[in-house]
Amino acid sequence: MLGASGSLAVGLLIVLLAYKMERIRRLQSAIDKLEKSLDEMDEQAKLIVRTDMELNKTQEELDKKINSLNALQRLSRAISTTLEESQIFNKIDAAALSDLGFEKACGFLWSDQEKNFLPQINIGYMQEEMRTVLLALELDKNKFLELMSSDKTASSISRLIDPAFKDKISKDFLAKTFILSPISPKEGNNGFIFAGTDDPEMLINEGDEELFTILAHQISRAIDNARLYEKTWRAHQDLEIKVEERTRELTQALNDVRAASKRKTAFLSSVSHELRTPLTSIKGYASILLAGKLGELPPEAKDRMEKLNRHTDELVHLVNDLLDIARIESGKMAMKKEAVDLKSAAEKVADLLSVQIKQNNLDFSFSAADDAHSVLADRGQLERVLINLIGNAIKFTPQKGKISISTQKSDNMIQVDVADSGCGIPEEAQEEIFEEFYRVDNPINQEVRGTGLGLSLVKHIIEAHGGKIWVKSRLGAGSTFSFTLPKPA
Amino acid sequence: MAIKVGVGVSVDGDPLQAAREAARGAKLNLATGKIDLAVVFSSIEYAHSTVLKTISSMLGVENIVGCSGLGIITGEGIFKRGLAVMLIDLPADIYLNTACVRSVNPTSSTYAGKELGEKLSYGFKNIRRHLSVIFSDGLIEDGSGLLHGLQEKFGRSFPIAGASASDNLAFKRTYQYFGTETLSDSACGILWGGKLNFGLGIHHGWKPLGKPRQVTKSSANTVYEIDAAPAADMYKEYFASDIPKLRKELKRISIFYPIGIYLPGEEEYLLRNLSSIEDNGALVFQGDVPKNSRIRLMIGTKESCLSATSRALEEVKQGLGDKQCDFAFVFDSVSRYILLGRQVNEELRIIKEKLGKKTPFIGLYTYGEQAPLESIGYHGVAHFHNQTIAVLGVGG
Repeated sequence: MLGASGSLAVGLLIVLLAYKMERIRRLQSAIDKLEKSLDEMDEQAKLIVRTDMELNKTQEELDKKINSLNALQRLSRAISTTLEESQIFNKIDAAALSDLGFEKACGFLWSDQEKNFLPQINIGYMQEEMRTVLLALELDKNKFLELMSSDKTASSISRLIDPAFKDKISKDFLAKTFILSPISPKEGNNGFIFAGTDDPEMLINEGDEELFTILAHQISRAIDNARLYEKTWRAHQDLEIKVEERTRELTQALNDVRAASKRKTAFLSSVSHELRTPLTSIKGYASILLAGKLGELPPEAKDRMEKLNRHTDELVHLVNDLLDIARIESGKMAMKKEAVDLKSAAEKVADLLSVQIKQNNLDFSFSAADDAHSVLADRGQLERVLINLIGNAIKFTPQKGKISISTQKSDNMIQVDVADSGCGIPEEAQEEIFEEFYRVDNPINQEVRGTGLGLSLVKHIIEAHGGKIWVKSRLGAGSTFSFTLPKPA
Repeated sequence: MAIKVGVGVSVDGDPLQAAREAARGAKLNLATGKIDLAVVFSSIEYAHSTVLKTISSMLGVENIVGCSGLGIITGEGIFKRGLAVMLIDLPADIYLNTACVRSVNPTSSTYAGKELGEKLSYGFKNIRRHLSVIFSDGLIEDGSGLLHGLQEKFGRSFPIAGASASDNLAFKRTYQYFGTETLSDSACGILWGGKLNFGLGIHHGWKPLGKPRQVTKSSANTVYEIDAAPAADMYKEYFASDIPKLRKELKRISIFYPIGIYLPGEEEYLLRNLSSIEDNGALVFQGDVPKNSRIRLMIGTKESCLSATSRALEEVKQGLGDKQCDFAFVFDSVSRYILLGRQVNEELRIIKEKLGKKTPFIGLYTYGEQAPLESIGYHGVAHFHNQTIAVLGVGG
């Protein structure tokens, strides 16, 4: 039997047990709650992991696409600005290739001469590996040529090529995943570009095929451009060579002409000299006969002798002109340049020709601009120029016509215009009138005698001064002969 | 006297030409006559013994160690195909020894680690050992075993930094370089001693998600059961998927959602990449997962990855204290390379900025990294990691 204290102890133990049990129950409940929370947390973790996985996949896809597009854009820019065919393939670099999702690439162009594929680029293949690839191409060249002629992109996922050939490409080119796209320029050799990877994670789809096809097209167009540029450049080179040849020929011809002209001048000079001596004798004897120093001549003989004398004068004049031209051309005639007042020179000439001016009732005038009074010239030669030009004007200007001389400053030169209201010169003759012995075919020239050397001599004199001479004329509306001479310092 | 270092890099398509170019560049940058060690990192295309022979004969160096990677990390850039050579000229008070073990198969990886430790220790009788750097085959199933073996020789908290060689993600064959030999299924390493200073930093940036779970049945790197259920159930639940679908997404899951092992006293979880899912629901990871480990599903982002890079480099600086960093090695997980995508160049920018313009460094992408989690103060225990960036800065 338990005593009271024993009962109390039992009671206490029961209470303690109950308390402990309650605590255990509470702890268990807390553990349960914690476990539940952990389970709930784990459920959330599962959701997070699954979402994260999806996000990673999407991110990878997106990264891949962005990388590919960026790489394509970079390559397109580099390729399209290359005009050297050999450099086009080299624009594809390992970084761009990696962005496209591949680690190795090679490109080939078919050579008709060598009947083989010639490598254009190699990225990621060791030398030994490339030898294997080239050997495979050599063995299967017909299949590859067939593939190229189809102009369609083939790949490790495409159905365009038979599975056995696909496996062979994969094996020979050492790439589980690959894309192969033909390079088809409009003209010349075509080929193909290959990109591949052994990365089992690299899965290609039609989008990748499309991107690669765009790249191949870009390369084809760039090759077209490069070939066209090469062609144009070659044509340009040929043209330059031809121009050089022609220039050489023309220079030779010009030299020949100059030599001929020199010979002509020398010939003229010597002939003129030879002619002048007997002419002087003829003229002398004619004068003696005309003066009656050897007895009076019968009137008929005198008349003939006068004609002889006149023709001799004309011949002497002609020979002198020829001699002057020859001297100027050979540079033997020294110009004694000095400041010559144009008005006095013109008036002196007009004075010499006053008889003809009056006979034809011509209105002769001279006007000089303020800054164009004088020129730097050989006085005698300038007068000769004016005599020829005014003399011509008188000859071709009808009665009561006008002859005017005017001067003006033109750059660093003085321009002198001799204008008349004469019959004018046909346009086709305007260039040639300065040639030796050229005479315009008109009624006046048929009547009036002339040597055809006047304007040629004038041109030689003006050019010997460093000036120019030209004519402006219209039939029936008169002519203006203009020449320039240096102005005095 | 400071350590002198020269780095040469080449991406030439011809491996021999690349070897010549990289060796020439490294020699030019070293600018001294003595070479105590050449460290070679390359992508698998350059893994030929002729490459090593060329480097050796050109530079007259026999001590060559290194390994292959998915890509190389250099001051000149990140190259998926390339070769980097670092030449090191040590002052008289710093010592090193190199060694190599061949045929490290899963059943003997611990033994191989121990053997490597013994070989490395040769000649170090009266010299204080400071640090070991190892390069092992990344396809060794039990990467942790090798480390455990080394730790048996050197001590649990001996500082070890290392890289598990990788290939081009084909997971077929990786290469380790020792002398003029190109090896696989091997491990080589360097043991440093004398007056050496170093800083080690390692971080991954992945964060735990979901409720903690417990590994209830495992063996080495295979986990059979989690919370007394088939291990694959965890991933099946999280991704509302069955095993075939999970296998299809394995690479993505492995990179973005590894598991993190909780280590008491460590700030970060130890990550384990999922490498395969067995038909019986077992999960095979790239490193060991001990029974009773508390694990969590982890989630990573580009931002957290880059922030981890900064933190790892800060730790290197802290480890070196006021001592100068004469050179550095960067061991960066291939997972991070894939996760970062185009932002790998941002990571390189951070590395260059934090190391300083003048500090020469070379690195590579790895299938695993070895380093202590808590490396500051030399007290951390080295672990086999996945998904991390491990940086080792060394000064004389």
